[in-house]
Amino acid sequence: MNWSLFWDLTVSGLTLGSVYALVALGYSMVYGILKLLNFAHGDVYMIGAFMGWFALHWLGGPINPSAAAWLVVVLMFLFAMVACGGLGVVIERFAYRPLRNAPRIAPLISALGVSFFLQNSALLLFGASFRDYDTFHLIGAKTYNVGDVFLSVPQLLTIVSAIGLMIGLTLLVARTKIGKAMRATSFDREAASMMGIDVDRVIASTFFIGSALAGAAGVMFALVFGQIYHFMGFLAGLKGFTAAVIGGIGSLPGAMLGGLLVGLAESYATGYLPQGSTFQNLYVFALLIAIIIIRPQGLLGKPDVNKV
Amino acid sequence: MRRRATAIAALLGLAALASVAAASATVDRAAAPSAAASADSQLISCGKTVTMGMLAPITGPAASLGKLQTDWAKFYLAAHNKNPKNKHKLRIQYGDTVLGGPGGTAEAVKAAQSLGSNVLSTIGPAGSNEVRATTPTLKNAGFGFVSGSATNTELTTDGTRTNYFFRTVPPDSAQGTSVANFINKKLKFKRVYIIDDQEAYSTGLADTVQQKLRAAGVTVTRDGVSQQQSDFSSLIAKIPRDTQLVYIPWQLPPKGKAFGDQMRAAGKGSVVLMGSDGLFDDAFAALGGVYASSFPTSGSHPVVKAFKKAHGGNPEFFGAPSYVAAQVVGGAIDRACKDGKASRAEVRAQIRKTNLKNTVLGLNVRFNAQGDIRGGQFGIWKATAGGTFLPVG
Amino acid sequence: MADDVTQPRIGVDEWVSSVEEKRERYRGPIGWLRRGWDSSPPAARLLVFVVPAVIFPFVTSEGNLFRYGLITLLYALLGLGLNVTVGFAGLLDLGYIAFFGIGAYTYGYVASTHANHHWPAELAIPLAIAVAGLVGFIVGFPSRRLVGDYLAIVTLFFGQAFVVFVNNADRINFWPFNHTDLTGGANGLDNIDPLNVFGWKVNTTKEYYLFTLGAFLLVMILLYFVSGSRTGRAWKALREDPLAAEVMSMPVNKLKLMAFTFGAGIAGFAGAIYGSVQTGAFPGDYDIGLLITIYAIVILGGAGSLAGVIVGALIVNGVPELLRDSNQAEWVFYTVVAILVITKVRPWQKLVTVIGGTIALGFALHAIADAWFPRWTAGEANAGRLAHWVSHWMVLPSHPTQLANWAYVLTIALILVLTLLHGWWRTIVMIPTIYVGAFAWENLLVENTVGATRFLLLGALLVVLMNARPQGLFGSARVEIV
Repeated sequence: MNWSLFWDLTVSGLTLGSVYALVALGYSMVYGILKLLNFAHGDVYMIGAFMGWFALHWLGGPINPSAAAWLVVVLMFLFAMVACGGLGVVIERFAYRPLRNAPRIAPLISALGVSFFLQNSALLLFGASFRDYDTFHLIGAKTYNVGDVFLSVPQLLTIVSAIGLMIGLTLLVARTKIGKAMRATSFDREAASMMGIDVDRVIASTFFIGSALAGAAGVMFALVFGQIYHFMGFLAGLKGFTAAVIGGIGSLPGAMLGGLLVGLAESYATGYLPQGSTFQNLYVFALLIAIIIIRPQGLLGKPDVNKV
Repeated sequence: MRRRATAIAALLGLAALASVAAASATVDRAAAPSAAASADSQLISCGKTVTMGMLAPITGPAASLGKLQTDWAKFYLAAHNKNPKNKHKLRIQYGDTVLGGPGGTAEAVKAAQSLGSNVLSTIGPAGSNEVRATTPTLKNAGFGFVSGSATNTELTTDGTRTNYFFRTVPPDSAQGTSVANFINKKLKFKRVYIIDDQEAYSTGLADTVQQKLRAAGVTVTRDGVSQQQSDFSSLIAKIPRDTQLVYIPWQLPPKGKAFGDQMRAAGKGSVVLMGSDGLFDDAFAALGGVYASSFPTSGSHPVVKAFKKAHGGNPEFFGAPSYVAAQVVGGAIDRACKDGKASRAEVRAQIRKTNLKNTVLGLNVRFNAQGDIRGGQFGIWKATAGGTFLPVG
Repeated sequence: MADDVTQPRIGVDEWVSSVEEKRERYRGPIGWLRRGWDSSPPAARLLVFVVPAVIFPFVTSEGNLFRYGLITLLYALLGLGLNVTVGFAGLLDLGYIAFFGIGAYTYGYVASTHANHHWPAELAIPLAIAVAGLVGFIVGFPSRRLVGDYLAIVTLFFGQAFVVFVNNADRINFWPFNHTDLTGGANGLDNIDPLNVFGWKVNTTKEYYLFTLGAFLLVMILLYFVSGSRTGRAWKALREDPLAAEVMSMPVNKLKLMAFTFGAGIAGFAGAIYGSVQTGAFPGDYDIGLLITIYAIVILGGAGSLAGVIVGALIVNGVPELLRDSNQAEWVFYTVVAILVITKVRPWQKLVTVIGGTIALGFALHAIADAWFPRWTAGEANAGRLAHWVSHWMVLPSHPTQLANWAYVLTIALILVLTLLHGWWRTIVMIPTIYVGAFAWENLLVENTVGATRFLLLGALLVVLMNARPQGLFGSARVEIV
């Protein structure tokens, strides 16, 4: 058993999985509250990556930053998260709120419209060329190792900050008042509004947090994998959606688990199966189907109760 | 009963109105409907400005490639129009083919159909499948079309496009042969890993190289990634440490760079990395020590230098064949327009007679009967530690 | 889809409010048209579409016919098939586009130089339909117990599997298929024959258009009768409430399977035609991007509505085509802005304020820029008849990029703010909004109409239309009895 290969695959799986988990969290949060699949979520992630790039260059750029590298990275994250959170709130207010009582498929097309709009606006404003984060100069390529396990700094950063954000989110939902309001609203929107909860504000907060997480995911992805361009949200959105469903859509711990699982599945499939990389999407989907057959509500989802 | 009749009459009237409106709103401003024969030979007077078409991916996942191609073509046009010896100015009508986008090759055909009747000839399309899909449209309209990036070998060998389609970039068979020979005879490697990006350009090259290497007794493992992918770490983990060379015939230099970076991060930096002409770019060269195949272009060519200066230092050679394509088309139009009038058939014949010396590609450009550059071949380049490509074979 | 209906608003009786809506429906000039539409027989309604569609090829150029006519019809045909699965039966099929591909590849395999079969269309097309329908049946069989999002995932997997399969099926190398090239791989199945229907060789755009129009009408009439039949009504019951349908002893699983197969067959039909139009079947054409576009067409038009599919296809395909040419787009932009302002701003005093104010602001700024910052008016307006007028009204800097980018973002922000304001504030803010929007248009958007602008405007249009009519343009708002 080649342990070093196994650990390499596990680390890369966890890294990519953390990014997917953050994207999936945004999907799950919005779905839990609105029963809406936010198609534009992947593009918010893309905008986050670009916002991080701009922050990096306004702070001097990767080669000669005007502050310590760690501070620059923190500021990049903060800027991207706030910008994307705001963007998410705006999108909700103008594209989804008027459709709150409409048939469920209408906001899907509205989301599609937003997605087209964001992608092509990014193309128009930022241009078609790829932009590089140049992590090599910003953070360096140091690698830490524990026995057979090798972790580069960006990978470590991604996994640790993703875990941190997930813990923060869980605490927010479980312990704070707004979290309680979110849980109540996702359980029964009407009853929650009758209990005096401002449903509009709760939904706006949900979108803010979900989109902020997507923005963070965008910056993380760019730090580890380097290149950003206007079309990068498409694949991430698709994978994030798959991860959310695997974990049980609507469930937050499910989204986290689902994301990590998808990342690991892709990694192991590529590493161990013949022509694994060519067919990795198929292997992940096959895993998804297997899970759905065994547990139709996803790994941690609640079974759908059909009231007659 | 009467109300119903009125309603029906009103609807029919509306229908008639709608049809008239549709007709007048969409009639092509420039000319009447053109049948196959007349479009080919219809004489267009070459006034002060003559129009050529350019089909390129302006939006969609391949927009970065489209930008490179249009930048180089625009550069040629600017130089041409500044030259007082040229009687006519050239302008480009663009068609967005959205390569790799949701509409698929239908977008390319729509773009080809959108070329106005005053367009004499076209550059592009960029993708090999796009060339296939647009062939009937462009042939019916009588266009000669010159692509700067469609390298699939069958495009010129299957005979469907002879005398209409030309390309200013050598085909995959030439490139694959050069690469395989270099790996086998020069580097003498025995264990090679080939990774394609699932697009037609890539798999074509990968197939050719794989076949030739296997025939020479080299151990070849083959795998693929998606063109959208940026994370290669799991695939890299799988590549055995004793692999001598990894061949990545990809189109997007940033992805090639990302792959190289991730190889190094995984401690496999000693494995030689080789890209195809799609990766012949400063971004990829920045890795240092990598190989790429490309036409024998040169950084000291005056046009390259001028382009570099105008575009902030980065020549980005992927678009260079589009410059030559613009040169070919522009030159053909100039020659056909000598008598003040030109038809698409004339321009096509003039393209066939192209004879350019010392182009940006480092080759002389004359077309053979199939539409390929005569004697077009690829050279192998190696990047120095400082990130510049130097020819090695 | 089927398990979630409109949430009733608290305190409002849905039944009463829907009566209001019905009364409103026939008010005004639009209402008069609607009344005519609703009371005319289906044959007359069909004529409203058929007459212009038949006249169209004889009055426009080939290029326009292809872009606006042929591709729209093909997408609309695909939309009809999706309408059966999603609109009639309420099944969220995310792998639908694979059936389109199966139709194209099947037709291509038997009518191209690939395997050197050259079947005529009257044999090849039914084969394509049959194969697509069969695969639809096979995919539908294990999925018939799944509902909603889970069906979506399984079908999505199938769709992705199809794309990967056709992309790699040129290297099949296991017993008994050794060294088989089934689909041409990433290069696609090339040199597909033009349609050869009973001896008539279809090879010009006009002929293809008329053939496709015939096919489309055939399917449409078929679907019209199906939707009124027992099966059609059973599908609708299934869509509205699958549990109630099952309780009513409808064979729910059989119905689902039938919907799948039917939709797949129609997609196969469209695929065969598309394959011969493109003279090739390429893997990238049958991927999730096109699926999303067809979904947009169906839902924009109204799920379950046959007329809506045509309108949806016209909008989703026609709008980007219309905006391709920057001169045309220029006219469209100013016309649309003018229409929006004229119809939405009441009463006439406010309208005059807005129009007058915008024009005055434009000339004022232009004069100021001319006098003090000459570089700011040194740029050139886009060529065209409007150029002369625009270059006197609008400020056109010689290097507008940075400023135009910010103007674009500012326009979006102002439009959003505008929707929050009311009364005279709205009227006043409208003036700078229009001006900044026109500035962004002239200096940034209009140069890119061939590329990003047309898709971004399509996206904005989708958002606006779905917000204006959430049930789709021809869809029926569903009423829930509380």
